[in-house]
Amino acid sequence: MANLTLQRVSKSFGRFTAVEPTDLTFRHGELTALLGPSGCGKTTLLRMIAGLEMPSSGRLMLGDDDITTRPAHLRKFGMVFQSFALFPHLSVAENVAYSLKISGVGRAEREETAARLLDMVQLSPFATRRIGELSGGQRQRVAIARALAQEPDVFLLDEPMSALDAKLREDMQVELRLLQQRLGITTIVVTHDQREAMTMADQIVVMSQGRAEQIGPPQEIYNRPANAFVASFIGRANFLDGQVQSGQVQVPGTTLSLDAPASFLDGAPVSVAIRPEKAWLDGDMPDGNRLEAKITFVRDVGPTRDIYLETPAGALIVEYAIGENARDFHVGESLQVHLPPGALHVFPRDSDRAAA
Amino acid sequence: MSVSTADITPGVAAEAAPAKRWNWGTIGFALVIVILCLVPFILVMVISLGEKIEGADWRWSLSLSNYQRFFVGANPEDVSFLYLQRLWYSFYYAVIASLLAVATAFPFVYLMTRQSRRAQTIWLVFLLSSVSLSEVFVVMGWDILLSNRSGLPMVFKETGLTDWLKEVGWFQQLRDWGLANPRNVRFKPSEFATIITLAYLVWPYAVILLYPALARLDNSTLEAARTMGARPLTVVRTVVLPSVRLPLLGAVLLLFVFLMGAYVAITVFAHPAKHTVAVSVYEAVRGATLNAPFGAAQAIVLLVVAGAFLVAAMWLSRLAERRAA
Repeated sequence: MANLTLQRVSKSFGRFTAVEPTDLTFRHGELTALLGPSGCGKTTLLRMIAGLEMPSSGRLMLGDDDITTRPAHLRKFGMVFQSFALFPHLSVAENVAYSLKISGVGRAEREETAARLLDMVQLSPFATRRIGELSGGQRQRVAIARALAQEPDVFLLDEPMSALDAKLREDMQVELRLLQQRLGITTIVVTHDQREAMTMADQIVVMSQGRAEQIGPPQEIYNRPANAFVASFIGRANFLDGQVQSGQVQVPGTTLSLDAPASFLDGAPVSVAIRPEKAWLDGDMPDGNRLEAKITFVRDVGPTRDIYLETPAGALIVEYAIGENARDFHVGESLQVHLPPGALHVFPRDSDRAAA
Repeated sequence: MSVSTADITPGVAAEAAPAKRWNWGTIGFALVIVILCLVPFILVMVISLGEKIEGADWRWSLSLSNYQRFFVGANPEDVSFLYLQRLWYSFYYAVIASLLAVATAFPFVYLMTRQSRRAQTIWLVFLLSSVSLSEVFVVMGWDILLSNRSGLPMVFKETGLTDWLKEVGWFQQLRDWGLANPRNVRFKPSEFATIITLAYLVWPYAVILLYPALARLDNSTLEAARTMGARPLTVVRTVVLPSVRLPLLGAVLLLFVFLMGAYVAITVFAHPAKHTVAVSVYEAVRGATLNAPFGAAQAIVLLVVAGAFLVAAMWLSRLAERRAA
């Protein structure tokens, strides 16, 4: 089966550019998450793929077919809407069988398909219920079954978990991912929740202000963020301002050495990012890359503890795993923090971080 | 009117009883309702039982002869259904015109609610202001438009459309429908002109009645239908119409009851043999025949019939809801 490709696809509403010209490939059978803060253009991008918005420029290709101008009802990409958009005047089974009914599939086949799909999403006992009688999680599963009834080439989901409570959301993320892998269907999920994207996706597209900032597998995006925006949006990150000096970064209080020398001119202003769980606070830490620090706040979050530090280079949060030999930290205590060279990411200093 | 009074009166009793104290506001309000609605209604009912004195006024009585006259005619030996026929025309014009108004308003409102907020506001303001035109004014406009000497028939003749209709043979069809005389098309009097004018009269109301329901329609359900292969008309048929079924029925009913009482348009456009109860009520009370008790009886019958339709429709819609649930 064919890949879905976007070639320089953009969208403007009047003077406002919602999506800058974007190249993307959605490989067949993979799940891609469009991830970004609200207003970053991810939903507009999804709606263009569904055929609900016309791109202002560029081409959409499904394999070798140019589908840029093909209307939504001829693309028949199943879509799950944020509000689920179920038909209140139809029963659960009728909702699921809707696409089959309007395309003229016979009653027996319709009912059989609806029954099979409802069984797949574990809603068989609810087939004759009205939509108003279902809970949020049940509605979501009806919406998924309904979108899959027409056996779409591409399966689209617009913030499918946002109407669910936190516990159910995590369960459904796993369930949806398992279902998608079983069906092997090309799937695109819009989300602003990086945990959701990391849980489900083969490929994540991090978007900001209408641009795709980074495209790659979840672990790559987490471990090697392409820029400061991605580093701050995916997971948590501390940023320290510094200056490049012969491959190292000078920050107030120390000089940080890096695994790979920074490819910046000497004197260039940079931001150094480090994830809270990568910094060391224990006594037996390696030499170098150390900062004097003072504890300003301790936050216990169950399995880990967030230690808030004040250093000459700025504020820093360190995530400390509570193991067997865990030590106590007290507000006001002075200590040293070690920033391992391998965990440091250096970005040019810009305004992107503030936007995140 | 009588229904609202009945609703309010028990409410007064229920509120006053536990408090053991008269609530003067509620009592005053109930009194106003009784005086404004119930008293005139009872008065009309009592008058309908009165008797006409030939060559003079009428007197109070307790006779059902006016109702007998309405249903089977004044003379028992010579049965006549003249007034039942008029009741039929009241019903017929009102049903067709209200259906026509709602059927044409629906696509307009649907497309309007797909426009920007600003465009919607402009349309609504324009339509609301047209409501301020009185029935007399609207009927006058249509009267001119459809009049045989200066209106559309003249345009038909002058532009050669009449000749063309004769050539292709459609003129005879118009004559069969009563919309042409041997020389030219003719719209007055005709059921066609009557119904068109009645539908035009209530069209802005149809728009205003349908607007809230269609504006509230969840746009994502329409988009969902499109992504499942529904072409635009299929979306309307399978999603929009079922979602606004009740508001549509409500609009038809309201306009129907309103049009049962239409007067000016009927007198101008309908053939005298096809006039309605509303027209003969007016004739009896203020017009040529001067028979107030018979006019009152006709008014009561009209009210009861309209009321019966409302009750039946409410019952039907409730039944449909229950079956759907």
